[in-house]
Amino acid sequence: MFKKKVLSVMVATLVSGAVYAQDEVRIGITQNNVGVDSYQTTYEKAFEEAAAANDNVDVVVLDAGGDVARQIGQVRNLIQQQVDAIIIWPTNGQAVIPAIRQAYNAGIPVVVTNSKIADAGLEYIAAFSGPDNVQQGASSAEMMCEALDGEGQIVQIAGQPGYTTAMERSQGFEDRLAEACPGVEILETQPADWNREKAQRVMENFLTKYDVIDGVYAGDDNMGVGALNAAKSAGRAGDIVFIGATNFAVGYEAIERGEYYGSIYQSPVDDAEAALQTALDVLAGKDVPKMNFFETPKITADNLAEFDKPVF
Amino acid sequence: MIDIKRFMSGSAFIQPIWVFVVAITIFFSIMSDYFLSVGNLTNILVQTSTIGLIALGMTYVMINGNIDLSVGATLGLAASLSVGLQDYGITVAVLAAIATGVALGALNGLLVWKTGVNAFIVTLGAMIGVRGLIFVYTEEQSFYASNFAFSDFGASTIGPIPVLAIIFLLCTLAMHLVLKKTGHGRNTFAVGGNPEAAMDAGIRIGRNMMINFMIVGFFAALAGVLLATQMGASTPNLGRDYELWTITAVVLGGTKLTGGYGSIMGTLGGVLAIGVLRNGMNMMQVPAFYVLVILGVILIAVLIIDQQINLKSFKGVQA
Amino acid sequence: MASAEHTKQGFMLSKKHKAGLLNFLSAQGILVFFLICMFAFSLTSEQFLSQSNIMTVVRQASIIGIIAVGVTVVIIGGNLDLSVGSMLSFSTVLVVDLHDKIGPVGAILVMFALTLMLGALNGLLVGFMRLNSLIVTLAMLSAIQGLVLIYSGGQNVDIANQSDTWFGVFGQGYLLGIAVPIIIFSLLAIIVQVVMSFTGYGRRIFAIGGNPVAAVYSGIRKNWCVFSTYMISAFCVACAALVLGARVMGSQNNVGQGYELLVLAGIILGGTSLLGGAGSIWKTVIGVLILGFIQNGLLLMGYPYYTQWLVTWVIIILAVWLDLANKRKRLLTRHS
Repeated sequence: MFKKKVLSVMVATLVSGAVYAQDEVRIGITQNNVGVDSYQTTYEKAFEEAAAANDNVDVVVLDAGGDVARQIGQVRNLIQQQVDAIIIWPTNGQAVIPAIRQAYNAGIPVVVTNSKIADAGLEYIAAFSGPDNVQQGASSAEMMCEALDGEGQIVQIAGQPGYTTAMERSQGFEDRLAEACPGVEILETQPADWNREKAQRVMENFLTKYDVIDGVYAGDDNMGVGALNAAKSAGRAGDIVFIGATNFAVGYEAIERGEYYGSIYQSPVDDAEAALQTALDVLAGKDVPKMNFFETPKITADNLAEFDKPVF
Repeated sequence: MIDIKRFMSGSAFIQPIWVFVVAITIFFSIMSDYFLSVGNLTNILVQTSTIGLIALGMTYVMINGNIDLSVGATLGLAASLSVGLQDYGITVAVLAAIATGVALGALNGLLVWKTGVNAFIVTLGAMIGVRGLIFVYTEEQSFYASNFAFSDFGASTIGPIPVLAIIFLLCTLAMHLVLKKTGHGRNTFAVGGNPEAAMDAGIRIGRNMMINFMIVGFFAALAGVLLATQMGASTPNLGRDYELWTITAVVLGGTKLTGGYGSIMGTLGGVLAIGVLRNGMNMMQVPAFYVLVILGVILIAVLIIDQQINLKSFKGVQA
Repeated sequence: MASAEHTKQGFMLSKKHKAGLLNFLSAQGILVFFLICMFAFSLTSEQFLSQSNIMTVVRQASIIGIIAVGVTVVIIGGNLDLSVGSMLSFSTVLVVDLHDKIGPVGAILVMFALTLMLGALNGLLVGFMRLNSLIVTLAMLSAIQGLVLIYSGGQNVDIANQSDTWFGVFGQGYLLGIAVPIIIFSLLAIIVQVVMSFTGYGRRIFAIGGNPVAAVYSGIRKNWCVFSTYMISAFCVACAALVLGARVMGSQNNVGQGYELLVLAGIILGGTSLLGGAGSIWKTVIGVLILGFIQNGLLLMGYPYYTQWLVTWVIIILAVWLDLANKRKRLLTRHS
């Protein structure tokens, strides 16, 4: 049944229907930058495991190494290999659109995973699957507001400049904070490129520059823990509320110890499985909504026990 | 008629790197069903055209005995300008981007010429500084070309061949001819090979170097614009590490870092070697982590082989 | 590269050169420049000259500084080392990962041993096989980054119980009120400076960097000398990894990415020529500190972080230019 549907989709889109004789569907994925942090690496493993668990799926796993141009080349290569569907973790939300459009024109459905692409490209994708990063930023703003009782001055440590996830989280955080919590002022924002050591350096400079810092919002826990380290060294960690996103194991432990106020629970395994499932649903001809967000709840000391410690 | 010694020493038309390119092409054709097809081969040409265009200019600069580390940043700036200035029309934006590349090249060349500071230092400074210019100009933002004509150009083809590949091949031919057949080409070799003799022969060394820096600036900018047409967008980090891959490709092609020796055909071979390796390993699904190691090992291996060949031919001359 | 560059400079010398107004300043060199920078920043920001800020900057600069000490020796010997960025990632990931598996002492020993082996590989290829150092270390930059990722499988590494180990002392500890990274940096700089200035070994390194042919005729074993410079460089990277790993108590796989350029920028700013045969450790220390204080000063003044790149561009060119003009003038006066 499933196979028939897949084949009918393929015939309809005129993609290599004749060449295709095997029982499997081939799905190509091009990831952003595996190895740069554990989230992406765990995602890749989970994706490969999920694919291996499904007998009908054969995957081509590629990594763009963070380079937009290389990712575009990989999308072209996947089109060339006539895969049945392409999953892309965009290195940049805008620059990959023409490549996605080429896949679309070649009749290959594209699923965007984890990080959104710009609105101009939405008509060329079959679906997006991933976290709602604007909502995550907003949730973090609410936690910050709660923790500070609506009053204080904070600093923000953002992810890689120009990267959609970083921009959306910042935007969600800043907008919601201004709305829900006008008494909390953002003193300064600096990027730390998802890098703990850089975040530590950025925070050290903040600590010298500002005598009073009530809170830190970091674009992910990796950076948040870097900021926490810096504040601990300076003996000021007790006065500062730390809030992150993408809960890492180190962040989870810091919440356990009471040093870290809260974060956003986001599982790369859910992320990877959702992406693969979305692609399979698209290939099966199911009616898939354009935006598929998986749950990313707030995590604080109060509900910590409800979550398993992240494996990364 | 075939002069084996000349062939082995790499001074004949067929350089060792081409033997390597043919070998890996055969290898990947056997290993992957998808590798040897017109579509994939033109893909490789398009993918290598970015590094390839810069490498054309870099060859001249390196034959001069100089080096340019700022090409990746120049590429990024040109890409951002060519997209960011499109409110004034695509032509204006593209011209401004290219002009900026040439101007930055001129600045590098002028500094090397007039101050006598080592090109490595001058362009290392520029590499850091021009990246700063990009961030100042873009304020960390990616730009998106609302006009699809721009990105359609990047995807367009003449017959089965992508326009970008044709541009790259035409530029390669032009640069090959300039190097072989013109006074500027001969002077470029002379300046790199023996500067004092070149000066005695009345060659204006500084001017020759500056022109070559402008050429590499032009090609870096052109590569940036063409890359932007592939993406219909630009990002501030575009071109990071490209200088390293460009230099690698040129060296693979047999151009000597000490100057005075090199060729465009060799560079084309070097560029294709990297492009075919990357593409082929993608097709074979070699994990990304291993690709880095393999590329590094191959680069060192080629250096060693090249050295052994040169040693042999050197002994041949002595005997 | 070296021989061509030398003749090029010879040709520059024959031109008339007006050193002009900047004579005095350039004669004092990089130190004056450093003081001017410090003064300018202290006018615009109150915190800049505070003790805590200065300590923060020096501590942050010490990782780059430690590596720069080693790379300076390689450069004096007439070669380059671009592989230090990946090597730093390699060593940091290794020491942090092994910490929980075999204990801190074992982790440190294994890390030093393997880092030195990478240095030996560089030394073998450049010193004994006479391959071009720029390309060899560029290839190693790529290969070692791959090795790190293969080793860790791309996962971050962390030290689990950070309060139960003394390992953190290398990055976070204080001795007599001075941060341990600063102490390690200073000790290494002093030792290497003394070795380079006052021992036969140091003189040999200068000799092979300055005039390799003459050095070989005078009986210096060039291969071993070049080899040893890469071992020193690797040793310094291992020390930096110790500091970095202990500072963060964890590591990402690309933690050292880009360090090779920062290190080079610091060395160049200090005035060590890339041609080999000249340079000094203390100049490198000042160059690295200038970079650190400029970055910090601009941030304190509220400029976005990328303005420091523009400023770095300008001062690198100016510093090297003035230095050259000054040397040329001294040469010319000596000749006349």
